[in-house]
Amino acid sequence: MPPQNAGAEIGKPTNVDQQDAAKQSSKASVFVNTEPMREEQVQNAVKFLSHPKVRGSPVIYRRNFLEKKGLTKEEIDEAFRRVPDSQPSEQTAGANQANTPDVQRPAQSQALQPGVSGSTGVTTLSRTRYTFRWSHALIAVGFLVVSGAGTAILIKKSFLPRLKSWIRKIVLEEEYDQLERTDSKLTVAEEASQAAKAAAAAAAALAKANQEILTSRSEERRYFADVVSLLDKQVQEMKLLTSEIRRLEASRGASYSRHEDYQVNQTSSKPFIVNGKQDYGQRSVTSSSQPASVEPSSAPHPKSYMEIMAMIQRGEKPSNIRDIDDSPPNPNQQPSNPRLAPRTKPWEVSQVQQNSTPAFPSQVNVKDLNSSVLDNSDNAVPWWQSKNAGIREIDNGVENNGYGTASGQQPIKRTWVPPQPPPVVMSEAAEAIRRPKPLVQKEQTLDDQSVPHSSDVSDKVMKSSELSKSERPIEGSITNTVLESAEILEES
Amino acid sequence: MPVFKTPFNGYSVKFSPFYEDRLAVATSQNFGILGNGRLHVLSLSPNPSQPFTEIAAYDTADGIYDVSWSESHDSLVVAAVADGSVKLYDTALPPTSNPIRSLREHTREVHSADYNPLRRDSFLTSSWDDTVKLWTLDRPSSIRTFKEHSYCVYSAVWNPRHADVFASASGDCTLRVWDVREPSSTMVFPPHEFEVLTCDWNKYDDCIIATASVDKSIKIWDVRSFRVPIAVMNGHGYAVRKVRFSPHVRNLLVSCSYDMTVCVWDFMVEDALVSRYDHHTEFAVGVDMSVLVEGLMASTGWDELVYVWQHGTDPRAL
Repeated sequence: MPPQNAGAEIGKPTNVDQQDAAKQSSKASVFVNTEPMREEQVQNAVKFLSHPKVRGSPVIYRRNFLEKKGLTKEEIDEAFRRVPDSQPSEQTAGANQANTPDVQRPAQSQALQPGVSGSTGVTTLSRTRYTFRWSHALIAVGFLVVSGAGTAILIKKSFLPRLKSWIRKIVLEEEYDQLERTDSKLTVAEEASQAAKAAAAAAAALAKANQEILTSRSEERRYFADVVSLLDKQVQEMKLLTSEIRRLEASRGASYSRHEDYQVNQTSSKPFIVNGKQDYGQRSVTSSSQPASVEPSSAPHPKSYMEIMAMIQRGEKPSNIRDIDDSPPNPNQQPSNPRLAPRTKPWEVSQVQQNSTPAFPSQVNVKDLNSSVLDNSDNAVPWWQSKNAGIREIDNGVENNGYGTASGQQPIKRTWVPPQPPPVVMSEAAEAIRRPKPLVQKEQTLDDQSVPHSSDVSDKVMKSSELSKSERPIEGSITNTVLESAEILEES
Repeated sequence: MPVFKTPFNGYSVKFSPFYEDRLAVATSQNFGILGNGRLHVLSLSPNPSQPFTEIAAYDTADGIYDVSWSESHDSLVVAAVADGSVKLYDTALPPTSNPIRSLREHTREVHSADYNPLRRDSFLTSSWDDTVKLWTLDRPSSIRTFKEHSYCVYSAVWNPRHADVFASASGDCTLRVWDVREPSSTMVFPPHEFEVLTCDWNKYDDCIIATASVDKSIKIWDVRSFRVPIAVMNGHGYAVRKVRFSPHVRNLLVSCSYDMTVCVWDFMVEDALVSRYDHHTEFAVGVDMSVLVEGLMASTGWDELVYVWQHGTDPRAL
């Protein structure tokens, strides 16, 4: 735990309440990055952020790019800090401002190096920013002036004569060209039109080629069909021949039964092969009508999906959409009170078990109680619980036939849950009476009171234990059997 | 095994945490592109001739992309609707009283909803407007908005052991881990080179998270050392749309994909694929494993069918 704590403190923003920091760090430290910052990554990020094109993009995209590269939040924040003039991270935490000398020094030295190299006086790096900047600016200006003067001289001496002769040449050419063409604008337009014509010609050629391919394909198919029909004919002829031969053999003296067999064979094989041919023909037809729609890279969408997309892109609305008003009739409608207490999850059960409650075995038994209660006809467990291994140990003697028509499940609370705060009782009753189907439910508190009740009064009963006690005698025999089952569970 | 035919294309299916035989299905018309939506609440019955009973069905003006059961009220469901609203339905109230809430704050489609299984009082919604919002039942507006992703957030999932921690998977290819007590995300890393469509926490090891992406792979990560995944599971032919860790077995997880299959994996084993179900005839988009019944799973897809079956059996068997 200790190293994680240290990492958590580094990683977290500083505006976390100091009092909570210790508590939170021990709990949330697992979900905070504890690895140290990688300097190389930070420097790469700084280079990325310093790029002029990146400067113009929104901060969120810059951050996302770095996140995709695998940088942690700390490294990204550090990079943003180091790059001057760029917006810092959205955190309002009082992170280091860009004024620490340590951070400034590498930035400034980087800026210096591409600058004046031969100039003197630069080596004296003073700590404060402003004086340094002024001298730097002066030196840069001086350098610019000198270089400007030098280039001016160079231009005068060598460039200008060349330039003049080149210009004269161009003017002469232009005059010559103007004789040939009336308007210079036309050349560009003509080129464009020629290019367009060429493109159109190429497209036409492509289209022709495609058409040719298609026609050739259809021709091939025709040929294929022809070949198949020819083969059919040949096969039929051969069949006739064989039948004739057999007849001859039969007439020569083969037995009557053999003749029959042959005939039977003929008749049975004929339809078989004919069907095969028919299938073949059908398949060839269908393959030509349904072009393959599979794209190699992305998942093939169903045909109707593409149709709907096309419709919407054209601006049409699919006809099967209805206008539905799905707004709440009463926006302040209170949700109905829960009838069941929340059940602990299977991964929490192991924790509960360690807390030495007898809850776990009872849960298992209750499940089977539910399952065995549900089925009416035989003792088979409902199909969705059939794979539960090791749950069938409980004897069916506990099964209560009175619950034969039970529809819902009957989970048993293992831990006591404080009763819900009671809402307005009358409206609850009115709404409960409106409820269509009675549900048989029962609950069990650790006080070993089992309270079965029909749904109409279920909510009120759950809330107040006094009401629950009054319900028990009403339910009579059901109560007793449930009590018995509860006792059995407690014992086991 | 029962099959339920929905009138619209299925998007998500979730088992109820209160009733073993109950599940909710989110569906959208016209594949969710444009059209109405419907939320079904179904009940399984042992009667083989009528395996499903529809307890309730709620129509919405726009498609429903996800549904989540409340952990505090056994009859409440949260629906993530494509018009940016989050609707609450109470199946115990008559249909004319439903929905009981319509929370309209997201500016784009709400893609997922997840209820806090520990605190039981709050839920998250994630949207294509790059944000995740935290809500409670008693307040008409969101408690917090988490805005750090730079693209659609496809999924936001609570950690099953830490009540304030959740993870979000986004189309900006990152996964973020958040703590609601912190002002910003506590961790961010890129699990895939492409859009991360889904994520889920391991129920038995609180630091293990699974992510799946358009790149057809599922990766298992330990958030304490997130540079290298614990396991990479390839095998799907197309993008993986949803992953869910098993609530009963530590190493098991289930995934569904655009390759129309539902696969079960064991990430601690060399050959991770345990089973593959190809019962769907279109994209398999939603899958869930029951918390109350071990081995029970459900899936739905764009073929408008909802299957419920036990792991190890054939979903299409009768």
